[in-house]
Amino acid sequence: MDEDFSLHQRLKAALHFTVGRLCEDIGGDGGKRFNKEVLAAIAETTYRQCGLFHSHLRHAKRTTVNSEDVKLVARRSTALYNHITRRSEELASTNQEQKERRKKNTGKRKSEDEETSVKRNKM
Amino acid sequence: MEERTTEVVFKKETVGKLLSLFFKDEKTKVSGDAVILMAEMLKIFVEEAARRSQKQAAAEDCDVVDIEHFEKILPQLLLDF
Repeated sequence: MDEDFSLHQRLKAALHFTVGRLCEDIGGDGGKRFNKEVLAAIAETTYRQCGLFHSHLRHAKRTTVNSEDVKLVARRSTALYNHITRRSEELASTNQEQKERRKKNTGKRKSEDEETSVKRNKM
Repeated sequence: MEERTTEVVFKKETVGKLLSLFFKDEKTKVSGDAVILMAEMLKIFVEEAARRSQKQAAAEDCDVVDIEHFEKILPQLLLDF
């Protein structure tokens, strides 16, 4: 039980840190800075929002939650849904590119090995 | 003022750990891409919260954004997400 508590605390602290940095940027952008209380409140609310997202994701009936499930969580807002869908497609195409690059490299290595062994045999 | 050259994001590790903590009692895992998308969602959530609070502060002619401004925009923010 205690372990969970301190892990939660550490994660909350990590969240708080990133919230602070994000708000620092936005504060500079909009010319109005955020006081400590607000940062803490935003961090706490974001933490709770995570819990809410989790409760939406639970309905995924599979053992692994994937991108499609996350897209469903975003469907309340059209703009958000479109943005997340775009991001998801970007990720999918990056993954595909990486896969193809890996295949090419293994293909190259195989043919290079064959060449070297053919040369050796000739000698 | 120094400009940040790298984008501020929620670390994939942090979000992943957070989600697994919430999923602790269930045997659910989260795919790598799903974690990245979740991190994006959280970042957008924070940005919305911050910018809406800032607008509220501006509407009230305040120089600093404080908790009252955040509280006023919170209900709609939660509905929108």
